[in-house]
Amino acid sequence: MTRTHRRIHRVLWPVMALVVMLGFTFALVLRPPPEAPAVEQPK
Amino acid sequence: MSVAFRAVQWNRTKLVYDAILLGGVILFIAGFMGIGALVEQPKDESEWIGLRIRAFGSCAFLMLTVILAIGPLARLDRRFLPLLYNRRHFGVLTFFIAALHACFMVEWYIAQDVLGTLMPELMTPEPYGKFIGFPFKILGIAALIVLFLMAATSHDYWLVFLRPPVWKALHMLLYPAYGLVMMHVALGAMQSNRHVLMPILFGGAFAGVTFLHILAAWRERDVGGKAERGWITVGPPQSIPDQAALIVAAPGGERIAVFRDGAQIGAVTNLCAHQNGPLGEGRIVNGCITCPWHGYEYRLEDGCAPPPFTEKLATHRVRLRDGVIEVEARPLAPGTRAAITV
Repeated sequence: MTRTHRRIHRVLWPVMALVVMLGFTFALVLRPPPEAPAVEQPK
Repeated sequence: MSVAFRAVQWNRTKLVYDAILLGGVILFIAGFMGIGALVEQPKDESEWIGLRIRAFGSCAFLMLTVILAIGPLARLDRRFLPLLYNRRHFGVLTFFIAALHACFMVEWYIAQDVLGTLMPELMTPEPYGKFIGFPFKILGIAALIVLFLMAATSHDYWLVFLRPPVWKALHMLLYPAYGLVMMHVALGAMQSNRHVLMPILFGGAFAGVTFLHILAAWRERDVGGKAERGWITVGPPQSIPDQAALIVAAPGGERIAVFRDGAQIGAVTNLCAHQNGPLGEGRIVNGCITCPWHGYEYRLEDGCAPPPFTEKLATHRVRLRDGVIEVEARPLAPGTRAAITV
């Protein structure tokens, strides 16, 4: 791994970690509520 | 190259490694499907395909996580190095598992008789403006393309053809691909599967890999920070393993491999003159530094390949000061005699 690769590696990981962590958290928080179970019709 | 060098082809170690790898993959997928079927018995063909999609997708994610953890683990502890040398096989198998995951997805559309809706689902521009509801499959497809490129170019032929810096840059695309896979899961499976373990396992795996990469980079930066007036502190001579090396980082980030062969200590650049292999992870064999990738050899005293070969490495001045080995950060011209005897 050359110096340039290492420099890119050092910048890429923290930036990517931040973006993915944010995206992952938003996807978790904003996910729609579970579908309500279907109510059985009275016979 | 060494006179006695034999190209590393299929040897026993590699076969054992691949057998363990394949066995682990089969075990994971069989276990995932068995437990999945026990917890919630699939009712029809589509649900069986769905279970297969999840099993192969989870397996590919786990394999990708392990692949990305091997690099920093090997930099933090030499005992993980054997995993590094066979990582290419791991990567190629990961591509095949991920490709099967994608094939099962297409099979699911065929089983539902809705294959015609797949392309409009990917091509309609409107959902691309949303966050929840984003066409997550496109993220997986992008990651799969990267995995394909890496698997297709994993042979040494491509390393020579593309040249090591370009090849390495191409293979660093794996990092964004891992991010794409994370978002593929977050916006896809995690939206419908509300099991508490799902975000814990996937988020935990990503956090673990990120921690390892940042820790390894921090350790190297720390070593580089010990340079004083152009000299880097390595440690007492005995701290360098005999017939092996300690890798130190110069303040600019360049890595230097400091080898010890009995009482002789020499320092060379960590990059092999052949294909930029990590020399410091190699050993001294028959009195020569031997690259772990292809067996290229260099004399410890001056970094020159033994005749008739002509490759030369940049060397670094070494000195013993107050019982501690120090290496000059500035490299000497390739082939300059610089090793010392302590």
